[in-house]
Amino acid sequence: MRFFWTLLTITLFLFNSFVVNADGRIFVTNERSNTVSVIDAKSLTIENTIKIGERPRGIGLSPDNTELYVAVSEEDKIVVVDPNTLKILRKFEAGSDPETFGVHPNGNIYISNEDDAKATVFDPKTGEQIAEIRVGLEPEGVAVSPDGERVIVTSESTNMLHVIKTPENIIESNILVGSRPRAAVFNNSGDIAYATAEISGEVVKVDVRKAKIIKTGTTGDAKSKPKDIILSKDENVIYVAGGRANKVIVMDADSLEIIKGIPVGKRVWGLAMSGDGGRIFTTNGVSGTISVIDTIKNEVIKTIEVGKFPWGVVVRED
Amino acid sequence: MLIKNIRFLLIIVILVSFNLNAEIIEVNFVYIGHEEHPALLGIKQGIDESNLQGQFLNQKYNLEIISENKIQKHNFTKYIAILTTVKSNELKSLAKELTNIPIFNLTDESNELRVNCITNILHITPSNKMKADALKQWQTKIPDSKANPQSWHYSFKKFAARDLNKRFKKNYKTNMDDYSWAGWAAVKMTSDTVARTKIISAKNMLNYLKTKLSFDGQKGSDMNFRVTGQLRQLILLVEDNKVIAEAPIRGIAKPPTLESLGILNCSK
Repeated sequence: MRFFWTLLTITLFLFNSFVVNADGRIFVTNERSNTVSVIDAKSLTIENTIKIGERPRGIGLSPDNTELYVAVSEEDKIVVVDPNTLKILRKFEAGSDPETFGVHPNGNIYISNEDDAKATVFDPKTGEQIAEIRVGLEPEGVAVSPDGERVIVTSESTNMLHVIKTPENIIESNILVGSRPRAAVFNNSGDIAYATAEISGEVVKVDVRKAKIIKTGTTGDAKSKPKDIILSKDENVIYVAGGRANKVIVMDADSLEIIKGIPVGKRVWGLAMSGDGGRIFTTNGVSGTISVIDTIKNEVIKTIEVGKFPWGVVVRED
Repeated sequence: MLIKNIRFLLIIVILVSFNLNAEIIEVNFVYIGHEEHPALLGIKQGIDESNLQGQFLNQKYNLEIISENKIQKHNFTKYIAILTTVKSNELKSLAKELTNIPIFNLTDESNELRVNCITNILHITPSNKMKADALKQWQTKIPDSKANPQSWHYSFKKFAARDLNKRFKKNYKTNMDDYSWAGWAAVKMTSDTVARTKIISAKNMLNYLKTKLSFDGQKGSDMNFRVTGQLRQLILLVEDNKVIAEAPIRGIAKPPTLESLGILNCSK
């Protein structure tokens, strides 16, 4: 029996190392350097830096991984980059002050327009606006369910999760949560979502179809202003960027109890996970670094210096 | 495709019938003061934002304006809260008259009003003592500082203050100042409470605001009231039209740092 477990551990370890070392790149927006840092996923070193435009924040990939999208907020545009050649392919107007966005499985982009109390839907191939959805004040986080049936937009100053039905692009429900909801994530089947509330220092778990809060947990630190949130591949654990608490808070996805706080750099905001779930990358705004977390040990294994105020991060694996 | 269309139609039918059936909650505020006062612009901004939230929750927020000399004969029973810029003496007599309704003090900074701990007055504007304490903390670093302690400033960007400043300026073509922030905050904390608790009685609102409030005033930590009726808040130190520091000053004020500013207790 013991032999079996040892074997399993070794196998998992080898498998893990293999997948993590797969070729790929990590892209990071640097809000105050106006650049995107390109990190080689194998060596975890900076490979290149792209001059992208003013105040880059949200970042994402097309479903087929062939295009990289970057929201340049001050220019009111989305910049499209070839993630292989790192050449800027085109730009398109994306409404007032685009901040974060989510990419739908059909390729469309759902953008929160912070200044305008609306979410807009764009086809990035043509740059054409497909829909506009009135939401609350200071819309911020955007989450797309894996099946593409629903999109959640959080509005920070209206304290709501707006659940949008696709492809109709109409609001299905509004869920009132704690103060200043910042980010959300769906589970794999799309019936549950988790969201962070910055000022109340909370994480809420909601039943998306019933539009009801199932559970509320706290990040347990007065300094923590939770921002980004991601779910582990097995859906057992959520990771929350703790903002000025300077740590990533690991919580049980069921009970919302804190399992661990992983110290990272200062003012941690953005989170992204490798395809196999073995690594988490965090943007540490004030430190100007990226922390690489091993999710088996739940420890930082490397810190990479990037530009000024890194904001968003996305992983592309070949 | 047909199934998709039917589903789409069903959703519309459900939404429409929901809207027809849902009862709209009407919430009324009253402002007592001059119509030209900047506090009123903040109040209007707050009402607009509350209605933006209210449209998703079937709540409608209204504002009435009455001048100081019309108070006597006015019926105040329909209001959730009173927002006012009147001075200390008028404020006191108003509070004596209308004991079961929150009265938001948007402008008067007198320390005396705080130590009196009048149960139904909520001071959004910081007291003189709060401001003096804020400046004192700063002067331990720069003794000859000429900074002005303020509750708000149009150049403030942190904690999404940038967003509030931007939308206020867009609507009223003028910068948000301390008084307009106070007006905005008073309305917003009340409508947030209505949204969360469905409280629509003034008496219950007063109780909730004084004991359970956790408000995002777009200047950092969640806000609530002291026993004195004073809103806990950070104070901005402004010099040459720029925010140069935020009190409580980090490293100088002892935790709980917000309590290093102003009056904490009532006079016996």
